[in-house]
Amino acid sequence: MTRKQKRLAVIAGGMSFILVAVLLVMFAFSQSVAYFFMPADLAKADVKPGTRIRLGGLVAEGSVKRSQGSTVSFTVTDGTGSVPVTYTGILPDLFREGQGVVTEGAFDAASHGFVADSVLAKHDENYMPKEVADRLKAQGVWNEGQGNQGQGSGTKGTATR
Amino acid sequence: MIIEIGHYALVLALATALILSVLPVIGARRGDAAMMALAPTGSLVLFALVAFSFGVLTWAYVVSDFSVANVWENSHSLMPLIYKYSGVWGNHEGSMLLWLLILVFFSALVATFGRNLPDTLRANVLAVQAWISTAFLFFILLTSNPFLRLDPAPAEGQDLNPVLQDLGLAVHPPLLYLGYVGFSVCFSFAVAALIEGRIDAAWARWVRPWTLAAWTFLTAGIAMGSYWAYYELGWGGWWFWDPVENASFMPWLAGTALLHSALVMEKREALKIWTVLLAIMTFSLSLLGTFLVRSGVLTSVHSFATDPTRGIFILCILGIFIGGAFALFAWRAPMLKAGGIFAPISREGALVLNNLILTVATATVLTGTLYPLILETLTGEKISVGAPFFNMTFGLLMLPLLVAVPFGPVLAWKRGDLLGALQRLYVFAGLALAAGLAFFYIQNGGPVLAIFGLVLGFWGMIGAFADLWYRANFAKVGLSVGLKRLAGLPRSVFGTAIAHFGLGVTVLGIFAATTFGTETVVEMKQGASVDIGGYSLTYDGLRDAVGPNYTEQRGHFAVSRGGVQVADVWSSKRLYTARRMPTTEAGILTFGLSQLYVSLGDAMESGGMVVRIWWKPFILCIWGGALVMMVGGFVSLSDRRLRVGAPSRKAKPVKARLEAAE
Amino acid sequence: MQYWATMVLWIILAALTAAVAAILILPFARATKAASVDRAGEVAVYRDQLAELDRDRAQGLINAEEAEYARAEIGRRLLAAAGAGAGEGRETAAPKARKHALATTAVTMVPPVIGLCLYLALGNPGLPDQPLEARLANPGNNVALLVAKAERHLAENPNDGAGWDLLAPIYFRSMRLGDAELAYRNAIRILGPNPLRLAGLGETLVASNDGIVTEDARAAFEQAVKLDPDNPRSRFYVGLGFEQAGRAAEARAQFEAIAKGSPPDAPWMQLVNQHIAKNGGTITPGRDTAQAPGNPSQADVAAAENLSQGDRQAMIRGMVDSLAERLKQEPNNLEGWVRLVRSYAVLGDKPKAQEALKSGLKQFPSSGELVALANEMGLAVEGVAQ
Repeated sequence: MTRKQKRLAVIAGGMSFILVAVLLVMFAFSQSVAYFFMPADLAKADVKPGTRIRLGGLVAEGSVKRSQGSTVSFTVTDGTGSVPVTYTGILPDLFREGQGVVTEGAFDAASHGFVADSVLAKHDENYMPKEVADRLKAQGVWNEGQGNQGQGSGTKGTATR
Repeated sequence: MIIEIGHYALVLALATALILSVLPVIGARRGDAAMMALAPTGSLVLFALVAFSFGVLTWAYVVSDFSVANVWENSHSLMPLIYKYSGVWGNHEGSMLLWLLILVFFSALVATFGRNLPDTLRANVLAVQAWISTAFLFFILLTSNPFLRLDPAPAEGQDLNPVLQDLGLAVHPPLLYLGYVGFSVCFSFAVAALIEGRIDAAWARWVRPWTLAAWTFLTAGIAMGSYWAYYELGWGGWWFWDPVENASFMPWLAGTALLHSALVMEKREALKIWTVLLAIMTFSLSLLGTFLVRSGVLTSVHSFATDPTRGIFILCILGIFIGGAFALFAWRAPMLKAGGIFAPISREGALVLNNLILTVATATVLTGTLYPLILETLTGEKISVGAPFFNMTFGLLMLPLLVAVPFGPVLAWKRGDLLGALQRLYVFAGLALAAGLAFFYIQNGGPVLAIFGLVLGFWGMIGAFADLWYRANFAKVGLSVGLKRLAGLPRSVFGTAIAHFGLGVTVLGIFAATTFGTETVVEMKQGASVDIGGYSLTYDGLRDAVGPNYTEQRGHFAVSRGGVQVADVWSSKRLYTARRMPTTEAGILTFGLSQLYVSLGDAMESGGMVVRIWWKPFILCIWGGALVMMVGGFVSLSDRRLRVGAPSRKAKPVKARLEAAE
Repeated sequence: MQYWATMVLWIILAALTAAVAAILILPFARATKAASVDRAGEVAVYRDQLAELDRDRAQGLINAEEAEYARAEIGRRLLAAAGAGAGEGRETAAPKARKHALATTAVTMVPPVIGLCLYLALGNPGLPDQPLEARLANPGNNVALLVAKAERHLAENPNDGAGWDLLAPIYFRSMRLGDAELAYRNAIRILGPNPLRLAGLGETLVASNDGIVTEDARAAFEQAVKLDPDNPRSRFYVGLGFEQAGRAAEARAQFEAIAKGSPPDAPWMQLVNQHIAKNGGTITPGRDTAQAPGNPSQADVAAAENLSQGDRQAMIRGMVDSLAERLKQEPNNLEGWVRLVRSYAVLGDKPKAQEALKSGLKQFPSSGELVALANEMGLAVEGVAQ
């Protein structure tokens, strides 16, 4: 191989690696990105059972029920709509009725309920996950969220299964 | 009064930094020795002022001076002393001051130990450091001032955020910042080289110890943060790919690449421009990490709404430094002489592959972290990019690198022999395969991927020592001569081997813990038992306890194996009284390298507790490996060759003084 | 005293500024030595590389041919570096006499000017240090400090029942209800129950539940009554509890017992009589004959609730107003502000709630609790923030 060929081979190798990476990223985005919904959006959007989404809103007052074992059911609401959610596992410390919550999971084809496999109750000291606060703000339910200057590091209360 | 002096010292530091930002650069351009000499002197003054200021703030915390708003907001007189110290940097304002302190500390180090640097380079480097200091001083004084006072002073503070009241987190930020800020020196060297338009092998050698030191601290910081999240958050995971973690991981990846490319540049004068670019990128990622996390932009857009000045300030700093450096790069880089060429199969080739993979991997992490933010800004659509994305992209991209790691050190410079290298390594590959399979067999179970992962881990661990083995040449020369040869090797060779070994250990831990680990969520009443990982846990009810600034309910579990009780675990739910904030304290029991992890859930109406229990085999390897990497870093750092250039200068100052005397 | 301290501060600051400027001016004062473009470091690196090459060669890591190539290459660079260093060194060797008028002016002027301007804008030169120890040693009659002092004492001696007993009512009065409850409970645990402590605990619980006599509270009052049957305060709350639970007959019995045991001119008689009337009046047979006696109708229950609602509001009002007064004097009480905002909102007094929220946020700009509360109560935080 001449010098030029060698150089070309190196460049081609590098380029193809980058190409692979880009394709991989695009594929991963199409596979594993969860879109965020509030209960009201679900009426409009057509979310198929089994599609992973993030569902956010407020935990409806008086809706938290513990059934047998460690399964908990509660209702996520945003003032206009509400969705029943079941979750098996330990809820985060800051999970409370009337507070904001983001759950991740999918709708169950049989029961039409939302089965969450992770529940996030707190992202900052406003007791309000960001997505939820933004949307509630947009809907006028929550007025200009202010409050803490992101103690971003660490104050996260999440439960994952 | 002392507090006001501390505040004034910070203001004075700004004045000093401003002078330092301008005069030495002019001096370097004009060849004016006096103006250049200002740089080291001024850097030491700057360090003294900031250190004093930081000391004063610490003192205010220790004596609980609640007339300082920052102390009142983040401290409590009854807090244990250690958290009074760590409370200083457990909040935005204080942590920025710590950042600044470390920055000027590094400047002072460059000023002290950089006597062998060419004067112009040193002046420029220190001036660039002063630019960064100036930006931070403005930021701190105008938007995040920790010395603002309250009058009248409250009688009691609001307590430190309970999640931060933990030993791990007390030492975590300083380590992380030593890493982040350490890269500022590389950045300053890169920018200084661009200003001078000249770069050579010696430059790479000067940059290397700084990169190495920063990398070592960052490794420690990340590992500490990961372990903290593991035991303090109480949900059993050790890495969540959350923006906060990614922010510290990206500089680490880029820094690792920089470490290796600086090697190529020093040895072969190749990859010059790339190394400079990488140095700029690494520190840019550090800045991005510090600010995006601290400002909360990534987790919450609110902080911008709260304090627009702070948000805009942050954007300006990021824009000026990152944009400015890249613009300077685009303008000046073509002036740098390109280096030599090499064959694809060679040590350089392997290091280029390392750089390629690491940078691409960094780019995917960056994409995954920022994509939701960008998408939201552009379309208003909200998405979450979670662990599956990163595992799929980053995980897969890193695999070839892990396979390639042991090859690097055994390949020769300039033109290597892959076949030869393969021949040298097949024994080690065989050993790794055997070890991986044996391990798998003993633990029996787990998918096929596990075998691959374990082999990869052992491959990294065992392959790391291939280079040492062949250099010592035990096979030919026998044990005693081999050992003698080994002793004669430079320390950096050992550093490399140790660090690569550590990487293997971590990989092994990751695969073992994820594939062999088990978990269970059960409702337990008093006296109930659960079997997991060969142990049996019996729940023994809740007890009330009171800590210095919290109350807690401790759940007691007796752990037995084969009917014999071997240990006790307590897992508790705490309520921090000052902030009325509940936390879960997981109970963790270590058996060798494996751990049993017990986390309490909610109380049931029936009187039982929901309990979540994990068996995490070999989980300690994950952090242990990082620790080993850190040791490798330090060993490498102790190599005298990194301080080369120092001895040749020994004679010179005397001569210079003589000249001056004449 | 204060004046002198401030003077001393300014003298120290001036000295500090002068010292910094003096150190920075030092390089200019020294004899100007010409800059040398020094490439010695570079040369050393190449020498070291040659040494390493020899070592690699000796160990057989590279073959002779490769070693020669590499040696030639490094040698070329070494020569280039050494030559350039010598050449450039000579070039700039001649020291140029330089004037640093501008630079020295900058160095002497920048620290004092920037220092003074920024510090005057940001600093509080008149404010002395206030370490907590020293303040506690000499608390004067600052109630907050006295409380803090007592708290410290109790943190060290958590079994000092008398301390808890003393602190509990103070907490209650400053509306730190969570602490008050803890203090009462501790006092009861250590010193044993007495009517005063039990009643205090009950009242704390009632106050922290916005005027509702909860199960816990009623248990405390009932125990207090058992220990001291003649205590009208505890009996009143027991009665109120029955009233709120809709058990009018039992409530009336309690209130009537108080009336019987009290002198007719006791200050609480009016309130007690009101309650007797309220509970008695609703069960008069004949007003609602369709109902079996003893079984109050839906309407009756509703009416009773309405009445007691009004009563409760009046009670809360009084408490709230005193809290507002206290917060005006001692604003560093987050719990107090939260309670105040909540109370006004519950009372339906939106403007006052808004006002309280504003003052609270002014004091605690970063309190998520207040914001969350505002959200819950439907209050606007907009414009209040900053």
